[in-house]
Amino acid sequence: MTASSLESQLVVGAILFALGMIGFLTRRNLILIVLSTELMLHGVSLNLTAFGRYHGNPQGQVFTIFVLTIAACEAGLALSLILTLYQRRKSLDVFLWSNLGEDDLPILSGQSTVPQTKLADPNADLPHLTPAGRAPKTPSTKT
Amino acid sequence: MKWSLENSLVLLPLVLGWLAVWWLLPQQRARSRILGGLLAVGALLALQATMLPPAGNLVRDGLFYLFAATAILSAGLMITDGNPVYAALWFAVTTLSVCGLFLLNSAPFLAAATIIVYAGAIIVTFLFVIMLAQQTATANYDHRAVQPLVASTLSFILLGALLFALQEWGGIDGKVNGPLQEGPFVAQDDGVRANVFSQPPMSNKTEIGSMRVLGRSLFSDYLYAVELAGTVLLIATIGAIAIAPRRSQGTL
Repeated sequence: MTASSLESQLVVGAILFALGMIGFLTRRNLILIVLSTELMLHGVSLNLTAFGRYHGNPQGQVFTIFVLTIAACEAGLALSLILTLYQRRKSLDVFLWSNLGEDDLPILSGQSTVPQTKLADPNADLPHLTPAGRAPKTPSTKT
Repeated sequence: MKWSLENSLVLLPLVLGWLAVWWLLPQQRARSRILGGLLAVGALLALQATMLPPAGNLVRDGLFYLFAATAILSAGLMITDGNPVYAALWFAVTTLSVCGLFLLNSAPFLAAATIIVYAGAIIVTFLFVIMLAQQTATANYDHRAVQPLVASTLSFILLGALLFALQEWGGIDGKVNGPLQEGPFVAQDDGVRANVFSQPPMSNKTEIGSMRVLGRSLFSDYLYAVELAGTVLLIATIGAIAIAPRRSQGTL
């Protein structure tokens, strides 16, 4: 058994996949969650090239090129989604999106136990009128 | 109990690695990173002793151990670092080490393409977004992991199952860990043609992993898949442009 034989490469690929899974499950930053999936893709690519080398055909490397293509698409889409989400809540915390309902709807499930980060301005994206001029007289002050 | 005694050699790096990752994951109270680092190094040494025995070829072994250890350690540092900028940089180090492993697997074109796409494009754009979105260096949510005990336990159970299956695995076609071919890595004709554009492998002079062999396989056997991948790229581009915030809606 040689050190760079098939099994050793598969062991390294499995470890990278497991570490990426831990990162995906534990991080709260939206960007790091996406980066962890890229780490899992690295483990898979390593497996593919090792099998290609073992069987003596270029198919493993061709599959890795497709994995690279899909990873690029995924990164572009994920970044544009993250930018849109960041523009609405001004934070990269994934727990701010655990409740997708409107603010005035009743909360059906239990609140999460993890402390939330403070919102900068939850209604920043909504249009609002600037107060201008004199305040109108109320009927009580007339009499 | 008998089973665990027999397989304790595989369980040792798993338990050490689980302890190291669980210890190093960002918690409310700061923990000593030195202890976690020592645990991780111990896990790597135990893994090398049990699962990754060396071969005779000194240079190849050294390069494999170097790249594998760098990849695993920097991946662990990436998922445990509290600062997202440093995490992205550790991911770049992981990418470079994985590209070294690609080189050992006779895939030089793939290694170059991965470095260009990941280190050159993906990580740079991720860093841009991190620096745009987080002007303050540290945020509260980066220092609190979500259920670190459950996540690391589940992932290491999965890893243990994978490693155990690999250890019990008899190899493909009854070949148990046959040594790799020495010398150039040339294609073997298996007589299978994927579609009408497929061509037989080239003469035994051209190495797999060169752009010539890869291009022939890509544009003959996988012609339809290449067209589909191009379509997916186009759709992803249109989608990213449509989803990304407009300038009229205000910038970040």
